[in-house]
Amino acid sequence: MDISEQINATQQEEVEPFLELTAELVQKRRSQARIIFDRFMRNRTAVGGAVFLILLILFCFLGPTVTGHNDPNAVNVTNVSATLAGPSWKYPFGTDDVGRDQLARAMVGGQTSLLVGLTSMLMALIFGIGIGAFAGFYGGFVDNILMRFTDVALAIPFYLLLFVLSASFTDGTPKSVIILIAAVSWFYTARLVRGEFLALKEREYVLAARTIGARNWRIMFRHILPNAAGPIIVSATLLIGVNIITESVLSFFGFGIQPPVASWGSMIDTGQNLIDVQPLLVFIPGLLIFFTVLCINLVGDGFRDALDPYMTER
Amino acid sequence: MGRYIIRRLLQAIPLLFFMTIFMFALIHLLPGGPEQVLFNPRLSAAGRAALRAHFGLDDPVYIQYFKWLSRAFQGDFGFSFADNVPVSYLISQRFPATLELFCIALSLALVVALVLGVVSGVRQGTVTDYGLTVVSYFGIAMPTFLVGLFLQYIFGVWLHILPTSGTETLGYTLGPVDAFVDRFEHIILPVLTLATISIAGWSRYMRSSTIEVTKQDYMRTARAKGVAPVPLLIRHALRNAVIPLITVVAIDFGAVAGGATITEGVFAWPGMGSLFFSSLTVRDYPVLLAILMLGAFFVIMFNLIADILYAVMDPRIRYS
Repeated sequence: MDISEQINATQQEEVEPFLELTAELVQKRRSQARIIFDRFMRNRTAVGGAVFLILLILFCFLGPTVTGHNDPNAVNVTNVSATLAGPSWKYPFGTDDVGRDQLARAMVGGQTSLLVGLTSMLMALIFGIGIGAFAGFYGGFVDNILMRFTDVALAIPFYLLLFVLSASFTDGTPKSVIILIAAVSWFYTARLVRGEFLALKEREYVLAARTIGARNWRIMFRHILPNAAGPIIVSATLLIGVNIITESVLSFFGFGIQPPVASWGSMIDTGQNLIDVQPLLVFIPGLLIFFTVLCINLVGDGFRDALDPYMTER
Repeated sequence: MGRYIIRRLLQAIPLLFFMTIFMFALIHLLPGGPEQVLFNPRLSAAGRAALRAHFGLDDPVYIQYFKWLSRAFQGDFGFSFADNVPVSYLISQRFPATLELFCIALSLALVVALVLGVVSGVRQGTVTDYGLTVVSYFGIAMPTFLVGLFLQYIFGVWLHILPTSGTETLGYTLGPVDAFVDRFEHIILPVLTLATISIAGWSRYMRSSTIEVTKQDYMRTARAKGVAPVPLLIRHALRNAVIPLITVVAIDFGAVAGGATITEGVFAWPGMGSLFFSSLTVRDYPVLLAILMLGAFFVIMFNLIADILYAVMDPRIRYS
């Protein structure tokens, strides 16, 4: 039952003649999450981004079963003249040089790219929150080590560090690529979380919690962390997009996910040599990456505006 | 001011020192040493040992580190495993091409970002502003290598008007004017690729700082005095609005360097980025180490420059 209906119902039961039920009064009874959600929904570009993102996710994860284009590695066309074909009813995205169905590859490759982006973000988030919270809350030695380490790590151009590590640490499986991306992106999160904790630990509610005898870990994760959630959620959302790009760059240069596993980046890598024959091999995965990252950025900015109305950076 | 600069310079020294340790450890603790890639697999055990000794690979890592560090101080980064020439020679060969690409792309990006940002900020809320906002969102969501590939396709494969890789047309002897034109044609696409990425982000910064500055009281005073709109914008607004942009550009140096590496890879531009990729595939550690150190050195320098410029340009900022 909707909140306003509920209130209307109670109002009808107990007669309260003096309380005029206006729109503002109903609004006041919204929960915090509801307020943020409503604010997000008012942002049309962010909602548009979210809708497209959901469609893209459905396309990648449900698409193979719904459309029947579910085998990315089957060599469907044995006739050489039918390889590198343009769009047709049978193969809407065409075929590649060995006659594989590009629609099936785009959908399954999308699963890889999205999962790599999401899981590497989650890993970086867990690491980053753990270490950042500890360093920000306790300060001192751990904090010093973290700050010096991240100073050094951030001074190396990101892609150079990434490529050097990838050449030795990845074996071409999605798992190794996820770990690599998390390993080079956690310190951004850690620094953000550290900064939030450093500022928030001076607040009165922390003192209040300490006064009633809350332990440190409880203060950190039940009191400070929820208050730092806004910026963390925003940066985590944007990090998914960054990680999807990172994966595609790695795979494009041959250091990431290796064939025959499909990802959007590795599809572009195979397609780039054939760009003058069949540009769709590059354009379709390329535009999919572009739209996915665009939608993620729009949603992330929507979160930013919804979570902190004072932070009007845009 | 002078004391502030000196203190910041002194702070950069330990950072650079930690950097050398970090990178040396990174490179040397990685699995898959150079001998697996470079040494002839049919080499006898004795020959292998002799080569290892020649490259100093048998010493403990920290001894190798101090040897490397003391030589690096003298500008000697050792010999390339793959080409057996000094690393400094390889880098001096490749550096000018990167510098050329970098300077042209950076100037272009700065000018375009400045103009678009100011236009967008002054015309806040208009169709122009929304249009530019949309375009910059597109630019931010686009990976560098994709911009490069799309440009290659449009101008090279489809329109057939620009070359898509290298620095010159091979197999022709051209006069000085033609050679210059040829070189210019080759650099257009890499420059556009590298510039596009930065323009998207920087024009956003310029937009918000323009909006912020135009709200200031002194702007209203100047307008009330009767300063015409264009001089008002250039002499009063721009001077203050450009400060954040310049610091952001300096801080973004690392990202641009990464973008340049990728651009060089896509367009086979024979600079440091291409050297980096070729060294990486054969695990040519001395070269990789030198490139990483150089990259990090420039990042630290530019961060320092950003801090100092910020203090110089905005006298309201006081550092104690």
